[in-house]
Amino acid sequence: MLHFFVRRVLLGVLVLIGLSVLTFIITRVAPGDPAALWVGPRASVAQIERATVTLGLNRPLPVQYAIYMDDLAHGNLGLSIETHRPVSSEIASYLPASLELVVSGIVIAILLGLPLGVLAAMRPGGVFDAVARLLAVLSVSVPTFWLAFLLQIVFFKDLGLLPLAGRVSNLVIALDPITRITGFMTVDSLLQGNWVAFFSALRHLVLPAVTIAAYPFGLIVRMVRASLLDVIALDHVRLLRALGQKRYTIAFRYALKNALPPTLTVIALTFAYSLTGTFLVESVFNWPGLGNYTAQAVITNNYPAVMGVTIVIGVIYVVLNLVVDLVIAGIDPRVRYV
Amino acid sequence: MRWRRLAAVLLAGAGLVGLSACGSSGSTGSATTKTAVGVYASYTQVMVFWDPSDSYSNEIIAMPQMYETLLRYDPKTDKFLPDLATSYSKSQDGLTWTFHLRHNVHFHDGSLMTSQNVKDSIERTMQRGNGAAYIWDAVKSIATPSKYTVVFNLSTPSPIDFAAASPYAAWIFNTAPLKQHGQNWYAKGHEDGTGPYELQSWSSGQPLVLKAFKGYWGGWKGDHYTKLIFETVGSSSTRAQMLQSGQLTFTDFLPYQQIEALKKDANLRVTVTPAWQNLMAFFNTKVAPLNNVLVRKALSEAFPYQEVITSVMHGYASQSRGPIPAGLWGHDPSLPQYHYNLAGAKSLLQQAGIKPGSLNLTLTYTAGDDNESAAAALYKASLAQIGVNLTARPMPWVSQWNLAKATNPSQRQDIFMMYWWPDYANPYSFLYNLFHTESTVNFNLAYYYNSSFDKLIDQANTDSGINRGQAVKLYDQAQTMLYQDAPAIFIFDEQHVRVIPKSLKGYYDNPAYTNVVFWYDVTP
Repeated sequence: MLHFFVRRVLLGVLVLIGLSVLTFIITRVAPGDPAALWVGPRASVAQIERATVTLGLNRPLPVQYAIYMDDLAHGNLGLSIETHRPVSSEIASYLPASLELVVSGIVIAILLGLPLGVLAAMRPGGVFDAVARLLAVLSVSVPTFWLAFLLQIVFFKDLGLLPLAGRVSNLVIALDPITRITGFMTVDSLLQGNWVAFFSALRHLVLPAVTIAAYPFGLIVRMVRASLLDVIALDHVRLLRALGQKRYTIAFRYALKNALPPTLTVIALTFAYSLTGTFLVESVFNWPGLGNYTAQAVITNNYPAVMGVTIVIGVIYVVLNLVVDLVIAGIDPRVRYV
Repeated sequence: MRWRRLAAVLLAGAGLVGLSACGSSGSTGSATTKTAVGVYASYTQVMVFWDPSDSYSNEIIAMPQMYETLLRYDPKTDKFLPDLATSYSKSQDGLTWTFHLRHNVHFHDGSLMTSQNVKDSIERTMQRGNGAAYIWDAVKSIATPSKYTVVFNLSTPSPIDFAAASPYAAWIFNTAPLKQHGQNWYAKGHEDGTGPYELQSWSSGQPLVLKAFKGYWGGWKGDHYTKLIFETVGSSSTRAQMLQSGQLTFTDFLPYQQIEALKKDANLRVTVTPAWQNLMAFFNTKVAPLNNVLVRKALSEAFPYQEVITSVMHGYASQSRGPIPAGLWGHDPSLPQYHYNLAGAKSLLQQAGIKPGSLNLTLTYTAGDDNESAAAALYKASLAQIGVNLTARPMPWVSQWNLAKATNPSQRQDIFMMYWWPDYANPYSFLYNLFHTESTVNFNLAYYYNSSFDKLIDQANTDSGINRGQAVKLYDQAQTMLYQDAPAIFIFDEQHVRVIPKSLKGYYDNPAYTNVVFWYDVTP
């Protein structure tokens, strides 16, 4: 098991180094002059030349990369071209908002998708299965921005039940502000016993989280159903049935364990992808997350921010995959020897 | 079993309704019992730069709440209003400007503002040389003969009152914290100005929250907003819905289609004011056949001005008369302008020896700007009618600008479309930046080098510090010269269209401070 773990960690480090080289090259060969962006839209030629030296852009590319990696090793992701503030602190400010949203979305997707997938697999071809499959296809295929607008129209405009956008109401921001501890507003408000802020944060979270949940929900239903159908056909499950075990016990207690590994992998990949792939949802719900930050960085040619986000997301991908691999190895001993 | 399921469904529904009833309610756009909260939603990031010396971006909407300048310019009356300076005078030669400061003004940390603070602020901004620091280029030295008197000694006459009222590079701030915490203290997200509002909270990606500064020299009698929230809301439809539902007090940009829809809302009103921003298309005068004035005049006559104003700008613009926009001093409505005349354009092209179908041009504009894109498409269709083939190419701003600065003029675009707006209320900003001879290409993207023109506008700028009437005459002559030489198409002068709640009283859309609400002056 230790050998398996070490090998995975080393592979992860290699992936990250490769990622840093790729993003460094792509961002540097992309058209545009970062020095001109640094000094602003109406800078003089002298100001741009001065910025070129300040940013070290007059040095050879390999030297620039070496400096970047040295800084990276010290936790320094450089300064934002747009705001001149440290990229690391900006990412630290935006990341919790995305994490709170994506975690909530994935939790909703798992809580609804997992049982639905199991129930659909238990009576394949039945009415319940048909409904589950239809829901799964719909939730995967519906464009997220369209779903976001639809939810806003129904729950904000028509029913007036839930807020339109933002993380908390402006009255809370002005009168009952939440002190930042974790950056998760629901958690921070709870820790401070600020109930007004907690309910406001929770209400604001519902619609974007449901929108985020749609895609992984469909995937989970499909994956769980398909995997479980395979497992149910195996001899040991048939034996359990012959021994008189109840259908639900077989499905949830025995068969699901064997059907989980591919689903876990999909959830982990969807989670990491969602962190930056939720730009449209963040945009519609005005959610100040990493997707918004990344989109802004790309639009403004802010290469330190683009690289910083890429590295952070890369780390999250690698860590999540490692965790999933370890969990799967724990569930299925055969994996350890592959 | 069925009952259990039904109960679960009902419980979930009740939970949603219960959740909707929890939390604070009410409109933040209006006054609550004790606190009036003003909410400003901007389409883009609000606090880009925090350092008042470097500030040169969208933070212009929040800076005037935290900081003040010596003067404030009012284009309606063409007068300067007192701000941190209560009065000022200039010597006859325009080389010495004396400002008398307001007494008992305090910074947000409680320290008293004196002439030394003014000197330190402006000198630091000049030394850093970032953003719009060039507005102080004429300043040779700053003296502080008394605690409340500041004297600017200039190397050449210049309208320093306009610089002193600029929303960029003219903020007065306390330099004491910099000595204690280092020069990056402001840039990290701190402030120490004298404005009516002070910082309550901010971090990247989170709204900026300001609260009333109790020690403000103006006092807090009467109705004022006491808390301000500046947030970024990228989606215009979200901003429009927030405005309609009373969650917003102000937003800086809405598409014209949405404005038309919002006009029907009984709780909202629309204001229209000339903006000091215009759209222009610069010809590459260094390459054939655009180095021929006849061709440039023909292309100017082929531009569908009114169609662009009507269909693209929904009527919220007027055709330009030269580069100085309507509403800014120096603009002259009697100056000549080109009119859409395809027959005339065709005839001019014939005179220049251009055969139909033989002229292929490339126009670049900034990608993502719908108005530029639509204007370019209409121009392309118009040119096609006289046998000119136009390729309209959208480019990211930096790429567009880099192409325009290519060493070889023939590698550059034929026509460069862009907006311009002044850093401060001075027509020289348009004429100098866009048409003054440059040794290295910067913003003169018509590559128009004319020493007679240069002399005229330089003299006008000098005179504007002494004799405004004479300066205006010279600017008129310079603009007439541009009409005759046609280095650019002066397309339209934009208008600011705002949709605001009817409850917001005292709002004045001052084009000298684009997108700024002076929140202390408005009442909830």
